[in-house]
Amino acid sequence: MTPYRKILALSLGLLAATALPALTRAADAPVKGGTLVYLEQQAHTNLYSPAGGFYPNGGILNQITDKLTYQNPKTLEIEPWLAESWQINENATEYTFKLRSGITFSDGTPVDAAVIAKNFDTYGLGDKALKKPISEVVNNYERSEVIDPLTVKFYFKKPSPGFLQGTSVIGSGIVSLSTLALPFEQLGDATKIIGSGPFVVAAETIGKTLDLKVREDYKWGPAKLEHQGRAYLDEIKYIVTGEDSVRIGALLAGQADFIRQIQAYDEGQVEAQSFTIYAPGTRGMNNSIAFRPDNPLLADVKVRKALSLAVNRDEIISTIFSKNYPKATSVLASTAIGYVPQTDKLEFDLEKAEALLDEAGFKAGSDGIREKDGQKLVLTAYASLPQPQSQAVLQLIAQQWSKIGVKFNVLAGDAGSKVVDELDPLKTPIAVAMVGRADPDVVKSLYYPTLRNQLLQQGGTSDKVKTFSDAKLNAILDEIASQPDREKRLKAVADAQAYVLDQAYAVPIFEEPQAFAGAPYVKGIAFEAVGRPSFYSTWLDK
Amino acid sequence: MSRYVVGRIGQALLVLWAAFTLSFILLQAMPGDAVLIKFLNPEFGLSADQIREIRAAYAIDSGLLVQYANTFANFLQGDFGYSMQAGVPVSAQLATNLPPTLKLAGLGFLAATILAVFIAFLSTMAPFAWLKNLIQSLPSLFISVPVFWLAIMLIQIFSFRLKLVSVINPGPWESVVLPVATLAVPIAAPLAQILIRNIDEIRTRPFVPVARAKGASEIGILWRHVARNAILPVLTIAGVLFGELLAGAVVTETVFGLNGIGGLTEKAVSNQDLSVLQAVVVISAAAFVTINLAVDLAYPLLDPRLRTRNGATA
Repeated sequence: MTPYRKILALSLGLLAATALPALTRAADAPVKGGTLVYLEQQAHTNLYSPAGGFYPNGGILNQITDKLTYQNPKTLEIEPWLAESWQINENATEYTFKLRSGITFSDGTPVDAAVIAKNFDTYGLGDKALKKPISEVVNNYERSEVIDPLTVKFYFKKPSPGFLQGTSVIGSGIVSLSTLALPFEQLGDATKIIGSGPFVVAAETIGKTLDLKVREDYKWGPAKLEHQGRAYLDEIKYIVTGEDSVRIGALLAGQADFIRQIQAYDEGQVEAQSFTIYAPGTRGMNNSIAFRPDNPLLADVKVRKALSLAVNRDEIISTIFSKNYPKATSVLASTAIGYVPQTDKLEFDLEKAEALLDEAGFKAGSDGIREKDGQKLVLTAYASLPQPQSQAVLQLIAQQWSKIGVKFNVLAGDAGSKVVDELDPLKTPIAVAMVGRADPDVVKSLYYPTLRNQLLQQGGTSDKVKTFSDAKLNAILDEIASQPDREKRLKAVADAQAYVLDQAYAVPIFEEPQAFAGAPYVKGIAFEAVGRPSFYSTWLDK
Repeated sequence: MSRYVVGRIGQALLVLWAAFTLSFILLQAMPGDAVLIKFLNPEFGLSADQIREIRAAYAIDSGLLVQYANTFANFLQGDFGYSMQAGVPVSAQLATNLPPTLKLAGLGFLAATILAVFIAFLSTMAPFAWLKNLIQSLPSLFISVPVFWLAIMLIQIFSFRLKLVSVINPGPWESVVLPVATLAVPIAAPLAQILIRNIDEIRTRPFVPVARAKGASEIGILWRHVARNAILPVLTIAGVLFGELLAGAVVTETVFGLNGIGGLTEKAVSNQDLSVLQAVVVISAAAFVTINLAVDLAYPLLDPRLRTRNGATA
């Protein structure tokens, strides 16, 4: 049981206990109708499906588009949705999907094999003419083939075992041909996104409000869900409210029903009024700091180990966070597929840290900062705006490191120079890292040089990297993304976790949740595997 | 007169062109660019090659002069390009954001003027010295109140506690009351200060005792004789205060969650959304230029002395 479900179960239990005597009708019979007022922290950006990773985008796309498959957020198993069934060949290079019949987009056009093929051709190959990039979750894609109106087959150049899960994520949301025909730069207008989901975009004021209306004829929700047919809510009203105190105040004052992004220090006042905190985990790579060994200061594994040993996770969590932010026990979240605990590699031991730094030749200088050959051990990182309390976390780490004679400069996350500097290991020897995705491919996403390249190896976007490259790590990562055998693939995931921490390439800190809060009468809130809300089964008990 | 007007309009256009060119150069000089920020964002997880292809598609690495000429030609035709971050045309963003800001700024300025005049008159009419001092120190208080704090206090008190107005999903009036009040306070302060100082100074001029001797009432003197003379410097400062209005609007719009140019600018700055920034700079410059032009042209209407002098040169 993950913590959020515990809280949920607890608060629902409490609610039931207090509400049951007063209620005569069945306690859990969902009521149709009503408008959910949802306060978002940030405006959505481009709604090209593969850009659905951004939480404000995912929160919208998840209501208006359906996916080929459904990943059960509890078991992480892949279940039917738009596809009734599927077959995968032995080395995971050919996938055949049989579609459910009678599905239509909100503009009336059918969801058939041709349109599904066109969707994945775009996500797998990109579309240069329309400036659409390739999707992160579709690896090694070659081509599609329409076998009959309800059967579509995909071919891959190399084994692509992550593709089945890839068809279940928000980034693979299926849209109509008319939406696919639009150039990338026009996809920021939500009214142009035509999906087959339980809600339809009715109106939008760009950057401010978005109104979704229920689709009355919707009858193709994930087959194994208890709830079938149209969504319970009539409407969802998204309102962008950037200011934390206004979102929380509005929720507590009854002006809103559900809000996204609530900081740990605000949780108390919300729960004190018996409102519910939802903190679904993101089941991917934990919130961590990654080292860039290309920087000479961090080239020695002893130095990286020392820095890792000097980070006190318990202090960070008790000072800045709450019970909804579990301590990291590996680079992967404990709820992720393939997680193996690595607690022995994640100790807190200042004495050992100092001994390692001494061994590495860094001796305390006159100002208390360690140095070697005149080079001071001064490190720098930018805070990461999407990550909770990133600036505070880094500053606390800076305090902790100062005890072993390391100076750590923390720069603001909104600095204009951030993007360029983060490509230069000399300017940013450390970076904040985190990715959510409920498939082992996520490990490769974060570290592989041609992907997010958090360690800044050679071969990535940066031209500032001089020598650093780790062939062994990359081989393990390749194995994760292309090993069709499930057991062998999980073995590679375990190897990657152990190897990254043996090399002390990263210091995982906590398992990052997405925090939401809802009014007591909001029922049936669900989250997909990575913590984006689904309002399909949500109803208002008022 | 007409030559004067044509000359001033010519100057205005020159200022606009300079604003466009300078902002273009400065924006290009920034490290990184919108495409990099948008697509390097780990949410996309794109590879280096993919990013290079996208950059080529957006012609972001073509020569500066070519880009400048293209952008300038597009601006002349009213085409502001696309917002890289939001994925919509800049003109659509302006269409949704400009009217609310104009409404907020207009009402805020009106409220500030009323507030300033009220304070100034009150301080002039105050019967006791201590009361006058108290009222005269109000502007200093107003200007030192952080807009951000004021906005949050107003929301907490009037919306969340007293439940008088709704911040979320407000009606047409509900949506402006608190933001206008927030915006009016810091703008009213300098207006009131200048007005008070001018009134005090003009009341020492010889024509005031003359009017009083002729039997005019204190209010009459203040309204008909003193105020008309005191208003000119206020008009000058009003043009400058427009900038303050825009700055105040950024905070007000963020806190109240209103859409408007302020919020648009803030987002564009953090994403280096150059086409949006360029459009905002040019539009702000246009607004400044127009307001200062209007102020210059309004002087002669308010002050007959300026009218004759202008008449003589035209």
